[in-house]
Amino acid sequence: MGALAAAIAVGLAALGAGVGNGLIVSRTVEGIARQPELKGSLQTTMFIGVGLVEAMPIIAVVIALMVM
Amino acid sequence: MTEYESMAARQRKWMFYLLAILVLGAGFTPYLTIFLGLLLGSAVSLYNLWLLQKKIVDFTGAVAEKQPVKGIGTMSRFAAAALVVIIALRFDEYFNVIAVLIGLMTSYLVITLDFAVSHFKKK
Repeated sequence: MGALAAAIAVGLAALGAGVGNGLIVSRTVEGIARQPELKGSLQTTMFIGVGLVEAMPIIAVVIALMVM
Repeated sequence: MTEYESMAARQRKWMFYLLAILVLGAGFTPYLTIFLGLLLGSAVSLYNLWLLQKKIVDFTGAVAEKQPVKGIGTMSRFAAAALVVIIALRFDEYFNVIAVLIGLMTSYLVITLDFAVSHFKKK
């Protein structure tokens, strides 16, 4: 059961990270394609967004490995 | 140096300062397992930060030049976090697992604080 719990935890965390990263990346790609001169500020926004989105799934991976 | 490059260099600098403080803590305090755990987690956190910075530069550069894009390295960062936890669980007489988890989160703390400080400095 521990392995199942770990798998569900990591799977749901990866799902959340995928949706969050997908939203951020799609908007950034749209923005850069429209206005390439804004690449610098969009890079910063994307970096902070992706960084914050990925914090929770990494905690989930760690906790899943701990309970396994 | 662009705004992004200066921000990335600043964040890496703060991570190195933090790692230096943790080395001093491991060397001169009696809380060895806690500081070693924090050190291990922070080292991998620095790797994750560097990878995220590099991948975002590569990704946005490829989008701007209309080249085929690769991923942003999410799975590599998850794998690094999993590896460090496996190491901490395997050698639990040397590393405190909760300290490793806290150490893994230090780069996100640095990103948030750096963004907040630079944002309020601009105003």
